[in-house]
Amino acid sequence: MYLFVCILFCVLAVTHLLVCVQVCVCVYLAVCLCTTLIVSVPCSSTMVSGAIALAFLPLVLTFIIRYRYYFVLFYRAVLVRMWYDCTTGLSREERAFQYVLTHAIPGDPESILETFDLWCSKVEFISNIGPKKGKIMDRILSEHCPLTVLELGSHCGYSTVRIARALPLGARLYSVEMDAINAAIAEKIIRLAGFDDDTVELIVSPSDEVIPRLRADYGLERLDFVFMDHWKKCYRPDLQALEGSGLLGKGSVVLADNVLFPGAPNFLRHVRKSGLYEWKIHRATLEYSKGIRDGMAELVYQGIK
Amino acid sequence: EEEKVGEEKPEVLSPEELEKLKEEVDERKKLISTLRGKPWPMRKKLLTLRESHEFVEKYEGALGKGKSRKLYAYKVMMLKALMGRPYGSMPRKTVPRADEANAMDFAVLWDFGVITNCLFGYAQYSVLFYGYYNSQRAIGWLKFRMPLSYFLVGVGTVAYSYMVVIRTMARNANEDGGGDNNSFNFSWKMFTSWDYLIGNPETADNKFASITTSFKEAILEEQESRKDDNIHLTRFLRVLANFLVLCCLAGSGYLIYFVVRRSQKFALEGLESHSWWERNEVNMVMSLLGMFCPMLFDVISALENYHPRIALQWQLGRIFALFLGNLYTFIIALMDEINLKREEEEVLKLNMTIWEASLYNGTLGVNSTAPPITVHPADIPRGPCWETMVGQEFVRLIVSDTMTTYITLLIGDFLRAVLVRFLNYCWCWDLEAGFPSYSEFDVSGNVLGLIFNQGMIWMGAFYAPCLPALNVLRLHVSMYLQCWAVMCCNVPQERVFKASGSNNFYMAMLLVILFLSTLPAIYTIVTIPPSFDCGPFSGKSRMFDVIQETLESDFPAWFGKVFSYASNPGLVLPFLLLMVLAIYYLQSTSKSYKQANLELKKKLQTVSRTINKVLTLIQHLLYSLCGTCTDIVCSPESKKKGGEHRAHQGKSNHQIPPSATSPPAPRGHRIPGPLPGNQWQPAPSVQRVPNSQRH
Repeated sequence: MYLFVCILFCVLAVTHLLVCVQVCVCVYLAVCLCTTLIVSVPCSSTMVSGAIALAFLPLVLTFIIRYRYYFVLFYRAVLVRMWYDCTTGLSREERAFQYVLTHAIPGDPESILETFDLWCSKVEFISNIGPKKGKIMDRILSEHCPLTVLELGSHCGYSTVRIARALPLGARLYSVEMDAINAAIAEKIIRLAGFDDDTVELIVSPSDEVIPRLRADYGLERLDFVFMDHWKKCYRPDLQALEGSGLLGKGSVVLADNVLFPGAPNFLRHVRKSGLYEWKIHRATLEYSKGIRDGMAELVYQGIK
Repeated sequence: EEEKVGEEKPEVLSPEELEKLKEEVDERKKLISTLRGKPWPMRKKLLTLRESHEFVEKYEGALGKGKSRKLYAYKVMMLKALMGRPYGSMPRKTVPRADEANAMDFAVLWDFGVITNCLFGYAQYSVLFYGYYNSQRAIGWLKFRMPLSYFLVGVGTVAYSYMVVIRTMARNANEDGGGDNNSFNFSWKMFTSWDYLIGNPETADNKFASITTSFKEAILEEQESRKDDNIHLTRFLRVLANFLVLCCLAGSGYLIYFVVRRSQKFALEGLESHSWWERNEVNMVMSLLGMFCPMLFDVISALENYHPRIALQWQLGRIFALFLGNLYTFIIALMDEINLKREEEEVLKLNMTIWEASLYNGTLGVNSTAPPITVHPADIPRGPCWETMVGQEFVRLIVSDTMTTYITLLIGDFLRAVLVRFLNYCWCWDLEAGFPSYSEFDVSGNVLGLIFNQGMIWMGAFYAPCLPALNVLRLHVSMYLQCWAVMCCNVPQERVFKASGSNNFYMAMLLVILFLSTLPAIYTIVTIPPSFDCGPFSGKSRMFDVIQETLESDFPAWFGKVFSYASNPGLVLPFLLLMVLAIYYLQSTSKSYKQANLELKKKLQTVSRTINKVLTLIQHLLYSLCGTCTDIVCSPESKKKGGEHRAHQGKSNHQIPPSATSPPAPRGHRIPGPLPGNQWQPAPSVQRVPNSQRH
């Protein structure tokens, strides 16, 4: 029995080499739980035999190793955030803003994006679009050169800065953000990057209220490019609202982020069934994470046939 | 029997009516066989089928049923003659008094472990196990040699299995053909994959999908063969992975050993004082480890970075080692139990003599004519039967293995699919694409499971003769269950690769398993003396003595002499040597034939290439000639041909309509998505230049 436990700890030491510390912590906890179970069970004869419980150990290990990236994500996005929320008084976005303010070069969008990436990969986790998917978006933008761009969900302003950086002269970006605090921080970051009101306009309101009023209040005739990165369950209603408002013309591009993880199945179902779009999913990994697969859906509106 | 048939059918038909009836029945039968291809709605088809079946059965059975009744009667008679006297007629075939109370106890039968308790109930004394069979040399009026037949059937099944496996391997090797299939792989695939006789759009879609898959496989193979990474890191990681796997194997072997020791301790203390979990610990642990360790091996093999086919072979090898280790640990533990039972037997023999002496204590002397004392068969004390115990252990193992498989299937596949399907509407992330998703169908794991199941049957068949029959039943149920599970709950594997280069890999594994699993059975037959009180070999010093006995008593004397000469080691050893040399010779000749074959193929390719070149040259000449000719001989009938010629030369004046030549919507590789057959259209492939996608 003790030999077996020793072997287990050898295995753990090796996983420490392979994977990062956080996973190792989880594995250690799991093993300690198991060993206590085994040690305590022989005393009680009515409980399930300890050997049978030990036979489940390979399953637990498999589970942990196969989904290690999800555990890491959970640790970074939830546990570390809770810890920092308790110790500092600021919210996550305010902490990000503080960091960017102190480490980035004002007026240089490149530097701001890099600082953001640094903070997100090393310190905490915020669900921005990230460098890899950002490159895909830059490529799409440079191919289409849209003049009117709508962004739903700017959160901290990372993707706003990214899009604005790739826009041609004379183009205008309308960014919609529901939460007022986040919108304030996004505003500051956008102005820090050097984009003025001509290029980027921030609209603070929920997306389902804004879209019907875009034509009337903001005088938009047609949207060349729409970027969706807000709540996943709002993707489909917002897309339908855009179709209904007539702001999408033939050749308009809609780019929806995170359609695979966390996933927007209703949105994808609607896209496939409606037949209004030529669609493609760009595969990549989740932002700032190596092993979790994710994708962005690129839709090109074809119009009603 | 004729009267019985007559009683059932009171009406009498005239010959013409019989003829008409026969014609109608034939017509109905033809209808049934062609029903599938008819373009009727399903309900109509089902109704027609039912009516036709009823009609056929009602009017055809007149003669047929009588015949089958006769046959059945003969069968029963034969069984009676062959199987000897039925239950209750001898001590061996009756339940002892002490166990009678337990055997029919419904509480015992309806316990969750109903099967395991059945084994200790009536089934123990049934045809299922070794202990039922009597050691009487000849039974019934046919003088059926029961012990001899038992022995020969046992040995014969093994020999037959060997023959079948090796014949299948030889047949597969012939089909493979050997040779060089690696040149111009993509060209072959590109130009020869399509089947021009396809007229059905669905078939065309399927063909397209299969061609795409084969292309992907070929591309993957090319990629793998060209990779060159950091060799040292790769080697280190591979060594590490093997070390981890060894740790796991050692751990599982130790766990089984520990559990078996504990169960022996429980057996000594008496089984009633322990819970059901503790009684069935060994089987549960073996089944669980066999289920979970392969998953761990799969995850560890991600370190090694092999080509998928090689990774699969490593995986199978490791699972093989795991199962074998577990099985042999189990057998070693079983050996300990056999020794225990034999010691018990010695003690009982002693007690038997004392008991018999006490029975005749009260009677008078030898000369008295008092009637012999009759003892009910159930009251005679029974010797412990280690063979039945072995059979029982194997049956328990197989039953628990089957149960584990079914339960894992139901929970791991079906329940998971149900949860993913119905929770997906109200869950924060996409369950189908992300974490649980649907389970993949694991071809290699299933094949290996089947192979090992067969190995266990081979091992236990000698001591539990009806085990193969039980297994056939289990396989039937498994087939339907897994068929349904695959269609209902599984999705295909994500990585696309051909699972086996040849079919012989699995057959070779089967052969090895056959060898390794018959080894313990043969060892026990040859080394351990059979129990004195049960089974067809009781009383003999070794089981194979039955052959000696048969030779002495049933065959003429000269046959025995010939046999003893033939089995002389002086004759057998040179014969074995000759066989080894013959195998070596055959192996070397087959190698040289393969080589010659390859060279012939290469020669053929070069010849066909030169012929092709000559033909294209001739064609060019002809077209250049024709090109000058068509200007002169320009008739309307040949305009179409002329257009084709021009297209052939690259000057196409008219566009061939796109719908005829463009393939259907391209299918990307499978995104983890909803199950097939579920209104899901495939996504186009990804990360290509966008313009090429637009039609």
